[in-house]
Amino acid sequence: MTIFKLVIRRSFMSAVTLLLVSLIIFSMLEVLPGDVASRILGRDATAESLELLRVELGLNEPAPVRYLAWLGGLVTGELGQSLASSRPVSEILAPRIFNTLLLSAYAFLIYLPLTFIPALLQAINRDRATDHAFSVVTLVLLSVPDFLLATILLLGFVVMLPLLPAISLVDHSSSAWEYFRAMTLPALTLAIVMAVYAVRMLRDNLIEVLDSDYIRMAELKGLSRARVLLRHALPNALVPTLNVTALNLAYLIGGVVVVEKVFSYPGFGSLLVDSLQLRDLPVVEATVMIAAFVYVVANLIADVAAILLNPRLRTG
Amino acid sequence: MSGETLSAPPGKWTGLLPLWRQTPLSFRIGLIVLLIHVAVAVTGPFWVPYGFSQMGTGRPLSGMSWAHPFGVDQLGRDIFSRVVYGGHLVILLSISGTLLGLVVGAVLGLLSGYVGGWFDEILQRVLEALISIPFLVLALLAIAAAGPELSGNPVLIVLVVALVYAPRIARMARSVAVEIATRDHVTVARLRGESAWSVMRRELLPNSTSVLLVEFALRAGYAPVLIGSLGFLGFGLRPPTPEWGLMISENRALIIITPITVLGPGLALASLVVGLNLFTEGLARILGRTVKLGVQ
Repeated sequence: MTIFKLVIRRSFMSAVTLLLVSLIIFSMLEVLPGDVASRILGRDATAESLELLRVELGLNEPAPVRYLAWLGGLVTGELGQSLASSRPVSEILAPRIFNTLLLSAYAFLIYLPLTFIPALLQAINRDRATDHAFSVVTLVLLSVPDFLLATILLLGFVVMLPLLPAISLVDHSSSAWEYFRAMTLPALTLAIVMAVYAVRMLRDNLIEVLDSDYIRMAELKGLSRARVLLRHALPNALVPTLNVTALNLAYLIGGVVVVEKVFSYPGFGSLLVDSLQLRDLPVVEATVMIAAFVYVVANLIADVAAILLNPRLRTG
Repeated sequence: MSGETLSAPPGKWTGLLPLWRQTPLSFRIGLIVLLIHVAVAVTGPFWVPYGFSQMGTGRPLSGMSWAHPFGVDQLGRDIFSRVVYGGHLVILLSISGTLLGLVVGAVLGLLSGYVGGWFDEILQRVLEALISIPFLVLALLAIAAAGPELSGNPVLIVLVVALVYAPRIARMARSVAVEIATRDHVTVARLRGESAWSVMRRELLPNSTSVLLVEFALRAGYAPVLIGSLGFLGFGLRPPTPEWGLMISENRALIIITPITVLGPGLALASLVVGLNLFTEGLARILGRTVKLGVQ
């Protein structure tokens, strides 16, 4: 019963957070400086065209009324019309979200071996040349911004070894192979950025586990090295690393903005940048709201999982 | 003249050398990299061969040479001079943005952790909401909200960096304040009748300096990347400002002809961040704290 209460309380807090996010987004874009109409039409708009647009967008209503209308739309899935293309926002968003989900899944598949192999190699060769070499490489990669890493990969795989396309334009008519080729470089970039954090974490956790008594025991009873490492050490080192994976998901939501833009991949992130440049506010508001929603829900799931897994929290 | 040579009294510098030897290697390397960056940023504008927007310094797109170590862009501007000029810009913007975020975040976090109650509850929820928006998205949103008149203004970049960092620093400061607030000296101060502001300034702040210092170094280490990302996406400083992220974006079209025009600014940006990260890790170790580099 108490677990149930805890989970309900946590979910309620997430809902409050999302409500506040919507308030922040709305007030930042619509209430703060000047008005939306002059921001859409730019500096040299005439008074008549401004007035016309204001009436068309319902901007003459007071801000709280517009906020409630927008919020109601969000809840019911009515996201309004895009200002730039006058199509429904949901119709624009759907294919972009699909593309980004596909890209994220691909990035995640590359991320797993990129994390496990270096971390295991480092832990086996602790404090030897291999370990130090990987530590230096991960530290440098940690300091390379994602847009620079993407550009360097572009230089490597497009210019020097012409294997992959420089521009990842795909649409519904693209074949699976074209999708695969288009997504490889953006997915690789995202995977490297995510793996760098996880490798450093997993290496430390593995070394800590390898020092423990039960690993010594497993070695002494004559188990093979591979078995000790993969069956006994790795599962125990993995639990703290799951945290990093949750953090990486948070990175991914922001990371796609830059990486998709670098490769012109038509996903959710490049849609946000493009609609910000076009000042297409309904699309901007919807994309930011979705990004925050994914983050909040991912955190909620992680916390609920922690509550369910941790017996000490159950009495709380 | 007595002819007798007196040995110099031990100056304050001789005491520093053993101290220096005790510091972790990462701290030493990081500090040296940072000092080189600061030295180049401060003195650079006086010795670079060309101005940052000076055109016709060499044959456009002529690649790497002794006269132009980082090549020449399509307008004939020397990339090396531009990178050196960009140094003080990137460092100043990063430091001032992070500092503003630290001050706002620390004051809010320490106060709300100490005062508690509904003020704390409301602030917590607002901070949580701000953190829920991915930081780059929040930064882009803030720039869009500021409108076209302010975009490209360095002050806006400083404010945006502060806006992104303040909630994260406040959350950290709050958790420290909650812990310190249970100590006896804080209870004594409260019973003496000191105001919350005075308790924060005289009891909480001195006891949280090491946490805040590491937090500052960690955030400052990521600020050049944030500023570079904004520049790269076209929401940061305006051309012809030699900001490194903006330069990488401008020269990306030239990558097939002269890759060095992209790699040069990239090297500057990455080495600054490597230096800051090493420094942060070493600093954390000196202060007896653990720090997770790169986790935003």
